[in-house]
Amino acid sequence: MSKLSDANLRGIPMKPYDMVREGLIVLTVITTAVILLAAIWGFPRIPPLTVHEVAIKAPISFIERTLSYFTGKSGLQTYGPPYTTDYENAQQVAGICPACWTGVVHPLNAQVDLVMKPLQQIGILNPSIAADLKLYRQAPVAQRVKWAENYSAALKTASVTEGRVISAPGDYGPVAPLMEAMLNFARAGLLEAALTQGTNPSLAPYNTDYTRALLYLGGPIMNEVANHFDEQGGEWGMSHLAGPYPGAWWLWPYAFLYQIPAIGNSPNADLIAGMIMAVFSLLLIFLPFIPGLNRLPYIFPVYRIIWRDWYQKYPSGDPSRPASYNE
Amino acid sequence: MNIDEKIQDFLKTHLTLEDAFPTRMPVYVNSFGYFFGTMTLSSLAIIIGTGSAMMIFGPIWSHVSSVGAFINAMHFWGVEIFYFSAILHILFKFFTAAWRGGRWRTWVIGWLIFATTIFSGISGTLLQQNWDAQWNAQQGKDAFAALGLGWLNWMDITSVLSLHVGIFAALVILLTVSHLFNVRSESPVHPIVDDGGGDAGDRRA
Repeated sequence: MSKLSDANLRGIPMKPYDMVREGLIVLTVITTAVILLAAIWGFPRIPPLTVHEVAIKAPISFIERTLSYFTGKSGLQTYGPPYTTDYENAQQVAGICPACWTGVVHPLNAQVDLVMKPLQQIGILNPSIAADLKLYRQAPVAQRVKWAENYSAALKTASVTEGRVISAPGDYGPVAPLMEAMLNFARAGLLEAALTQGTNPSLAPYNTDYTRALLYLGGPIMNEVANHFDEQGGEWGMSHLAGPYPGAWWLWPYAFLYQIPAIGNSPNADLIAGMIMAVFSLLLIFLPFIPGLNRLPYIFPVYRIIWRDWYQKYPSGDPSRPASYNE
Repeated sequence: MNIDEKIQDFLKTHLTLEDAFPTRMPVYVNSFGYFFGTMTLSSLAIIIGTGSAMMIFGPIWSHVSSVGAFINAMHFWGVEIFYFSAILHILFKFFTAAWRGGRWRTWVIGWLIFATTIFSGISGTLLQQNWDAQWNAQQGKDAFAALGLGWLNWMDITSVLSLHVGIFAALVILLTVSHLFNVRSESPVHPIVDDGGGDAGDRRA
């Protein structure tokens, strides 16, 4: 044995042992358990929510979300870093703002990147849409806002007939045909590809950045689906999966913080929870050196159950003082 | 200075073959709790094995083909068992105050492995290519941004895959090897010596 082991094990009674055999037995048992679990329960394959699917099943919601990007009213447009320069919206606690330190590393203009660019592509396929887009761009700002507001209001009473969104007649200018064009583009299954390709055309066809396609359905649409699966932050969020699967239950301590109203309802919830978890992690990592905490195992003597055979022979735990010695 | 001689001295001091592959063990190593570490290591081996297969054959194989989907399910359940075993292992080491006798490095490295696996697990969730991956990417972006991790693009699948199968996997393996080296070098921690007075007084071993 090494000098270190010699020093550590001096005077300790030993028994025969075969570590590799034990390891192989445990590996066999664990592998069998994993195979059985995989065979019985499989893997949670609830498919992703696609823009295409939303455009077909919930066309009004799709248009409302698209309109919010188009008019600059979505939360994404004032998100702050890493997407926009709205630093006042970055989470911060007592002047600590890690998002501000890292800055706008993935700039995103939702109006242009999520709607205008796809509309330009649609315009190549359909000249009337190109004309509508030109008309919209040349109109005064007040006129654009009026068209969008009128259309937004009309959507609240709109109906869907054979996949078409039917709204009451009104002064919507080119906004209505532009939004319908986006809906048709999405229904054809082309919008996600356009968003991905549009992220960085110079990388085509190797673009693997799905930021725009993933962010598009964020907000009310994905929230509704998440509600269906009880996956909102206030419902222990990331610590469980959709359906009857255990998920990341080891994140319960982190998810628990979001269940505390003072944290969960705070606009800085993620930073507060992250900071608490960072402190908690440091306490655990350096526990051997923290007075009081490093005495907890002595206060709750579970070790006496774990090593009960040893303490039966050596009540004090010291092998130089067996039970007969104490008597 | 002879480097080979230094290495020999280091191994003689810290880890001989007899330590690495022990044929004897202290008699106090006599609890089911000692299996928790091996269970954790076994599930990690399954995770790495199944993950490697998915990495080689690709996402279509692991989602669409029946064999691939089964390996994918094994990867998922391997992770569940990994955390179940790891948390039992940590509790066992906590209640035996296993950091005694200069074993604090093993404790600290163990927690570093656990912390790395958390990030590895999150990146793995984002790679599932299902609704949960999509929802967690959407929700996680706020936490990543708030914590100053927004500079990593968690929605670029190449970045996330590289982190998951490259950086995090390498860190976990490296730290695990280091953890095991310490475990075998230091030998199992002694039972606590209670010298009377109502408090276990053994602070040395």
